[in-house]
Amino acid sequence: MRFIRKLAMTVASLLLVAAPGARSADKPFAEVGKQAPLTMLVPATPWLPAFSKLVEQYEAQTGNVVKLDVNPFAGVLDKARNDVHSGGGTYGALFLDTQWTIEMYEGGFVAPFTDIDPAFVMPKEVLTYGDSGYWNAQKRWRTSNGGKLMGFTVLGNVQVWYYRTDALKAAGLAPPKTWDDVLASCAKIAKPPATYGAVLRAERGNGIRYDWMQWMVERNGSVVKDPENGDFTVTLNSPANKASLDQFIEVGKKCGPPNPGSIGQGDVIQLVATGKALQAQIVLAAWSNFEDPKKSAVVGKLDVVPLPIPTGGVPGGVIGNWNYTIAKGASSGQKKSALAFAQWFLTYDAQYAYAKDGGIPNRTDVLASDLARDPAYRWMHAYAETMKSATQELGYVEGPQVEQILGLRLNQAVIGELSSAKALNVAAKEIHDVFAKNGRKTGIGPMLPE
Amino acid sequence: MSLRDPRGDGVFSATFKYWSVAPAVLVLAALTVLPALALLRMSVSTITFSEGHEHWALTPARNFAALFTDPGLAATVVNTLLFVIVAVAIEMVVGLALALLVGGLARGKGLMRTLLIVPILVPPVAIGNMFKLMYNYDFGLFNQILGALGLPAVSWLGSTSLALWSIVLVDVWHWVPFVFLILFAAVEALPIDVMEAAHVDGANRWQMLRRIKLPLLMPAIVVALVFRAILAFKAFDEVYLLTGGGPGTSSELVSLHLYRVFFEQNQLGYGALLSVLTIVVVLSMLAAGRRVVVGAGAA
Repeated sequence: MRFIRKLAMTVASLLLVAAPGARSADKPFAEVGKQAPLTMLVPATPWLPAFSKLVEQYEAQTGNVVKLDVNPFAGVLDKARNDVHSGGGTYGALFLDTQWTIEMYEGGFVAPFTDIDPAFVMPKEVLTYGDSGYWNAQKRWRTSNGGKLMGFTVLGNVQVWYYRTDALKAAGLAPPKTWDDVLASCAKIAKPPATYGAVLRAERGNGIRYDWMQWMVERNGSVVKDPENGDFTVTLNSPANKASLDQFIEVGKKCGPPNPGSIGQGDVIQLVATGKALQAQIVLAAWSNFEDPKKSAVVGKLDVVPLPIPTGGVPGGVIGNWNYTIAKGASSGQKKSALAFAQWFLTYDAQYAYAKDGGIPNRTDVLASDLARDPAYRWMHAYAETMKSATQELGYVEGPQVEQILGLRLNQAVIGELSSAKALNVAAKEIHDVFAKNGRKTGIGPMLPE
Repeated sequence: MSLRDPRGDGVFSATFKYWSVAPAVLVLAALTVLPALALLRMSVSTITFSEGHEHWALTPARNFAALFTDPGLAATVVNTLLFVIVAVAIEMVVGLALALLVGGLARGKGLMRTLLIVPILVPPVAIGNMFKLMYNYDFGLFNQILGALGLPAVSWLGSTSLALWSIVLVDVWHWVPFVFLILFAAVEALPIDVMEAAHVDGANRWQMLRRIKLPLLMPAIVVALVFRAILAFKAFDEVYLLTGGGPGTSSELVSLHLYRVFFEQNQLGYGALLSVLTIVVVLSMLAAGRRVVVGAGAA
């Protein structure tokens, strides 16, 4: 009897140790050796606490020192530019928003990983997020096809559709699959001004540009024809894009507050967290806000699904990711240290811990792990689904200028200053002018009837 | 031999005054003239980066072409002029009224002065966030007050017709104390004997204000006006935090436009050109103000 009990305990212990994710806390996730102190330039974001915890774990496991220089969004770019333009040396690792990567890659300011360690290999389980971590200097394009590995995604954002499970259940509705479903649900569940059926972000600038582009790709729309292969013919002012914009405006106006043109990400999060907005299009990285009882009045009441699509449309998503890159001008010690952290961070165990602490893991095996079955991580399925068809947009050096143009003209369409056709026509002409001034092979499609 | 001229031949004092200010002049040149020259050079160049280095190309025509074809610039110039004229006018009137009111108090001047300058002590970021919350359509204090009075909510920052004026209100709240401080000091320095003489001569309050106080306060008024106009022309924090220039272009000011061109679009040459033009406008305002002050002094 005693022997059987001992055997059972031994087997149970072995099973516990072998279970996915239940690794020993004492064993380092990867052996990286002693490294020089590393300074990272990072943004103040909702996922930063999760990343900071992971950094502490790295320090505890390896004895290496990491300092995080935390800055607001725009401040990260300013500091990155100041550092790299003056030859570098302050930071070993630079966290770059996807829009900034092209400027830094093209400028030659970040070091390819294999220049630091020729033996470095990216684990195959790590998502590439539209190849935003690769740079083909000849094509001037982010692609793994002939491109060098310049970074990887430390936080990969896509937008998903947040909805109140209690509100939809009470109305006998399933989570929406199409934008027509959203419009129908708004009419049933909303009681404005106490509650809004759905909220979209349409403020001028990056807000509306990023949000509307999700709608654009769902109708196979585009801004330019084939930039990867050098064809910068502007395709923005197409009937498909007009249809996307018209429906975007319709949903925002019929379902949301009366000031759609000034709603930013903070406003959307605030409206959802206070229970005023019953559905919303928001980045997945905001999830932790809604599950924190100190910040949310709707803890446990939200779920997410991939974004609805237009009738006859295709699933699509636009990636907005933060990329971990290594500054070319950093000292040899900092570069090796940055690469060592990368190797540690990209392990299954580190990504699992990251997800548990509120981050978004970048490994497919973690997204398919036991966490996906845990109600606390119920977002994983929608995220994995969306990532199957998500793409990068504005992947060229003129991207920031194109974003400014789209951010203004789309906003003007939402607030009624311009019709949707005129907004797209004007934006198309302006974007064409930008490409023409930069010597790109470009053209413009026929104007939409205004 | 005097201490001022130890050699007694006048040469020491003639050269001394030049080399004694030379260090200050050199520092001034290094900190202002050199950067200004670098900015001028940037304004006629296109700067690109590759292989870790910057590459300059002289392209004045391209930068000026960008200036004349910038679709957003006209609206920002109009918005900025409206903002400067309206905000500064209100600040001057309210600041002067407060200065005269507080100056006429028998007691409590110190306390009133301290209370009235609180807004300029608050950091601009805090002001922006504070008013953004108060202007919030769903939760903001202003709409809650309107709701309590039975009035409909107002989209203070989301309406193209209201966004700029909502920012003007914030600017007025922030900068009236600045005008008040300058004018209050001038009010306190008004000669009492002149006031008394006017009173003895039978001048009423309106005549005292119009014929005595205002003319005597004019140099201070012009200084406050010029300072405020220059600062208002360069206003950035409030518009960046409250509306980001939207909705549409209804609240975009020159400084924000410049920020977008330089930092967000990374068009360094064109951004530098806009900066140079902004400096030219500000210097013109300074020169005009100086002429008015000198003229007022002569009168």
